[in-house]
Amino acid sequence: MSLSYKPVIWNRTKIIYDAVMLAGIFIYILIFLRLGPVISSALRDTDLPIQRMRAFGSLALLMLTIVLAIGPLARIDARFIPLLYNRRHFGVMTAIIAATHAYYVLGWYFSFSPTPQLTALFTSNTSFTSTAGFPFELFGVFALVILAVLAVTSHDFWLSFLTPPVWKAIHMSVYFAYAAVILHVALGALIDRRDLALAFLSLGGLATLCVLHLIAGRRETSADAAASKKAPEAPWVIVGDLSEIAEGRAIIGAAPGGERIAVFRSKGGLSAVSNICSHQNGPIGEGKVVIGFITCPWHGYQYRPEDGCSPPPFRERIRKYRLRLEGSSVLVDPEPLPLGTKLEPLAIPAELLPAVAAPKKEGTV
Amino acid sequence: MLKPLERGFFVGYFKKVPADVRVLMIGFIVFFIAAMATTSALLSLNTESPGAGSYADELSGEHLVGTMEVKPYPILRVPADGTKPARAVMLAGSGKFGVDDRALPLAGKTAQAGGIFVKRGDLVMLLIGGEDDLKAAKLQIPALPVTPVSENLGSWRLTGEICDGKCSAGAMKPGTGLAHKACANLCISGGVPPVFVSTAPVDGHIFFLLASKDGGPMPAALLDMTGLPVVLEGNIERRDDLLIFKIDSFREETGA
Repeated sequence: MSLSYKPVIWNRTKIIYDAVMLAGIFIYILIFLRLGPVISSALRDTDLPIQRMRAFGSLALLMLTIVLAIGPLARIDARFIPLLYNRRHFGVMTAIIAATHAYYVLGWYFSFSPTPQLTALFTSNTSFTSTAGFPFELFGVFALVILAVLAVTSHDFWLSFLTPPVWKAIHMSVYFAYAAVILHVALGALIDRRDLALAFLSLGGLATLCVLHLIAGRRETSADAAASKKAPEAPWVIVGDLSEIAEGRAIIGAAPGGERIAVFRSKGGLSAVSNICSHQNGPIGEGKVVIGFITCPWHGYQYRPEDGCSPPPFRERIRKYRLRLEGSSVLVDPEPLPLGTKLEPLAIPAELLPAVAAPKKEGTV
Repeated sequence: MLKPLERGFFVGYFKKVPADVRVLMIGFIVFFIAAMATTSALLSLNTESPGAGSYADELSGEHLVGTMEVKPYPILRVPADGTKPARAVMLAGSGKFGVDDRALPLAGKTAQAGGIFVKRGDLVMLLIGGEDDLKAAKLQIPALPVTPVSENLGSWRLTGEICDGKCSAGAMKPGTGLAHKACANLCISGGVPPVFVSTAPVDGHIFFLLASKDGGPMPAALLDMTGLPVVLEGNIERRDDLLIFKIDSFREETGA
């Protein structure tokens, strides 16, 4: 977690992740630039710098599509969470691949000219009033700037320095970058070459991402819409039944106003905390109690059940909530306690202890 | 109410990977590598040939000698020599540079030009090399024929694409189309003669040097039309083997 910052803290998972990602990139470029020209005389006749532009440009589009699919995939099925764990490396590599594409474009189409490269990029095509012929390069520049900013600020240092809300807002601009990339491809290569494979990659990818985000979004909004019932006695809300909480796991209630609260069960006690991890706003309630600490499923940030604080020397904190039992019903006061407030887990009465939730395969009830 | 899926729990720094996560991740890795390979193959192979335009070192260090004309762009009028008919050779420089600065002082004079050709069908352009490759000829041969009068081929409306004559002749492959639009504009703005690639031939030619109505350089407004299907109207004149399209009006091809 965030006591000190190193460029990359490697572990086995990250090494495997990066190795697979780099292998995929290597195979893509190798096939495009080495095998393709052997098979296709048309490709062989094409200038090598143009082959490189196409190879790195299409790869950047493919990688951006994949990286944007990881989020909703992980929301739809938790087994995809390992893809999310090191997603920033995927994003940084996407920015590097996109920059390589731009490097070849600048070095070929915008070089050898009396006009300086960057000046030429912005002034050599000014057909702003037409669709076909529009300076589509500018959409690429816009996307590349966003991807570069995201890559540079991807490290946890910037997350902490900028604060999670600001960092998150900046990183949501990846969707603007993606829209710009789609326009860049559509108004450039797609109109120009009427390339079916590229059309499938760009428009098929766009459709896939829309569907994945809609499914994930629907799941979230339906969970929020089913707000926890108010208990007869204000301000308590009924989050669920004790029997629904598996040992070491949580159920998640939606307080009035949409704030989600996770109630964990561990070693005979119940603890209510905010469902939002202070690291990247991950869904803590979908995590687990590991060696006594509530552990976020996204990057493994940990918090003590009794006060919502990360164990020393780490300093992250999440909100705690009061809770009580009425029979086997779990009630939570949706008013959060001040950060760092210590509140021992609510002991589960002995007569209710056997009521341990059986594992279920359903995620939403 | 949400409940987490009761599956194996894994975060990146754990050493043990639960079986269900491991199975899905192995499947994903296989899918990922296969998708990268397949996409790469499909995208790389789904391309059109840029055609046969290419460089041709036909002069082998020798020079062409002829009369320099500078309108609409630098052209060397090389007289017939008995076996070869008279030629009008478009001239450009290295990179995206024209040769106006060197050609203008030679206007109307006998000049010698050396360099390398780019050729695509009847489109031919001589790319002048260093300073020494374009200069007044050592012998101002008075016997060189007086420049013949241009032959007027009448008014035409043609559909096609405006390109720079250098890239479309094969200096870049492909050197046409929307992806090349900005590059073509840089070339034309830099003084490289622009050409029109017609979808239908006129007098056996599909490439035409572009000029304004009065025979000057191509109107700057046509830079917005490069790389696109357009319809041009104007007069075509012949100078030796080169056809020059003097533009009266133009519009984007709508397909109607």
